[in-house]
Amino acid sequence: MRLHTSSEVMTFCKKMEHDSANYYTNVAQQFRPDAETLLTLVKENTEHITQIERAYYGVITDAIEGCFAFDVDPVDFAFEETPAKGISFKEAVEAAIDMEERIARFYQGAGEQSRGLMADVSRVFTLIAKKRRRRISNIQLLLSGLNPR
Amino acid sequence: MAILEEPIKEPVNVKNYIGGDWTESKGKLQDVVNPADGKVIARVPISTADELGDAVLAAKDAFPDWRRTTPLARSRLLFRLKELMEKNFEEVSRIQSQEHGKCIDESRGETRRGIENVEVACGIPTLMQGYCSEDVASGIDEWTLPTPLGVFGIIGPFNFPWMIPLWSAPYAVATGNCVIIKPSSEVPISQMRLAELVEEAGFPPGVWNVVNGGTSVVGAMLDHHEIRGITFVGSTPTGKDVVYRRCGETGKRVIAQCGAKNFMTIMPDCDVDRTISAMMTSFFGNTGQRCLAAANAVIVGDDGFYKPFVDKVIERAAAIKIGYGLDESVQMGPLRDKQKKDKVCRYIELGVKEGAKLRLDGRNFAVSRDYPDICFLGPTIFEGVQPNMRIGSEEIFGPVMSILRAKNLDQAIQMSNASPFGNGHSIFTNDGKSAREFQYNIESGNVGINVGITAPVAFFPFSGMKDSFFGVLHTQGREAVRFFTESKVVIQRWF
Repeated sequence: MRLHTSSEVMTFCKKMEHDSANYYTNVAQQFRPDAETLLTLVKENTEHITQIERAYYGVITDAIEGCFAFDVDPVDFAFEETPAKGISFKEAVEAAIDMEERIARFYQGAGEQSRGLMADVSRVFTLIAKKRRRRISNIQLLLSGLNPR
Repeated sequence: MAILEEPIKEPVNVKNYIGGDWTESKGKLQDVVNPADGKVIARVPISTADELGDAVLAAKDAFPDWRRTTPLARSRLLFRLKELMEKNFEEVSRIQSQEHGKCIDESRGETRRGIENVEVACGIPTLMQGYCSEDVASGIDEWTLPTPLGVFGIIGPFNFPWMIPLWSAPYAVATGNCVIIKPSSEVPISQMRLAELVEEAGFPPGVWNVVNGGTSVVGAMLDHHEIRGITFVGSTPTGKDVVYRRCGETGKRVIAQCGAKNFMTIMPDCDVDRTISAMMTSFFGNTGQRCLAAANAVIVGDDGFYKPFVDKVIERAAAIKIGYGLDESVQMGPLRDKQKKDKVCRYIELGVKEGAKLRLDGRNFAVSRDYPDICFLGPTIFEGVQPNMRIGSEEIFGPVMSILRAKNLDQAIQMSNASPFGNGHSIFTNDGKSAREFQYNIESGNVGINVGITAPVAFFPFSGMKDSFFGVLHTQGREAVRFFTESKVVIQRWF
């Protein structure tokens, strides 16, 4: 089922942020030496939700195309919030990178779709897409300090 | 997507709020029905003229002290109200979807627009300042003092139960007046919740009153000699022949914002995809039940532009998801009640009889999930509409798009200006010259350039011309401040 209304896209954003936060929390529990870095990402996710909600609730008016602003297929951005059993740290980080790439792609696309209709929301989406991409580089650094586990 | 939780779980007994007390009315009770599922969600009293009289007395008693309360102190109460509105944002939005049927994005938009008026009214210490000239004659100074008048009546419509009374009430109380709000009896719950927030914010008793009811309350408001002015939003026949006329007879100030038939001119150089998105919202948003909804699409250009454009419009409209407004995936809710749906259906039949081509028939739409098909109606699109047809000239107030064709921009403007209404005409184009020509020549109080719903933000007047507006000053912003104040001019000389 494709997403068209702003409300369902907001709900989807929150779900992605929660699910990816859950992923990092789970990985942090399994690989404690890197827990601090991973839990920083969880905190950032909460900030993203605040940013998105502020933009949406601040800009939503009855006069713009709130119900017609998006065309998103959530299947394209699906990921597992629980790491696979017995996963290695390397595999967990690679899965995280894949997840971040999907989420960044979602925000970039949703930002472009809503540019002419809900400018503030679009700006926040584009900003979070950028942050997510930056985050990928940081996550990759975790691999460089990889210890056999 | 899940259905959002309903804030109203049991039928609410709607009460009047008079002089700071929640009072049971002596009038008979009427059911308030959720148009999506047909369930009774509240019972509203049809109050008597005497109860309106009680509210006027309470407001009149509160006025002297409220007037003496400094603008800064009044503004602090409004700031507190704004905070409470933000805190309860989601709840009041969902109430609107339950009582009116609109989609949750639309309800949240309505909530935000209402709050914006409170925010603007918070600036009353500067908004209400007069002006001064020294030495208008030698040794004589002169200045104006904007002063409140007393008690005002605010009559709300059914289509925006939360927002529309907020176009007036914050400015009325910010300037030191007291108000009596009469919400539409079809959708009274939002205003009851708002009055609860007003009470929680700490407004003194009698400053903000709510009397529920129907025509007898309106009649009593219009006739009451202690009510100094009325703001009204509703149909043109009532606004013009009842509210405007009777306010004139009883010496009241009046803002009567009335009906519309809005024309959207589409130029062949427009951004097609964005224009169509804007069209979906403008024609079908709020299920077409808004005075700024586009009704007639005037398409300029030859067949090379016209045919694929119209096909795309129909394709997009046909895909609109219809259902309960608290289902987040729904793009169009039901009409407010069955009578309104029946009226729109009669117009659809009429359009066919008049010879317009029915390209998309909203009567054949499927409703998402298992809701009773009482008030739902899909988007309807007619082609080949002529300006003299009734579907092209009368206000339908439903999700019906009439497509007309014009040879050029001049002809499109002529067609729009031939309408007796002048509320919210718009143009979609990428050409600055066309946009300016349109803005300059169009007879419309609110003009949209690549904006389909020409709703001014709170610090601009909600304008309107011709049969869409009766009065002089408008609601919102500085004009509202002027409407709710009288200019006292002081001329001073000292010997």
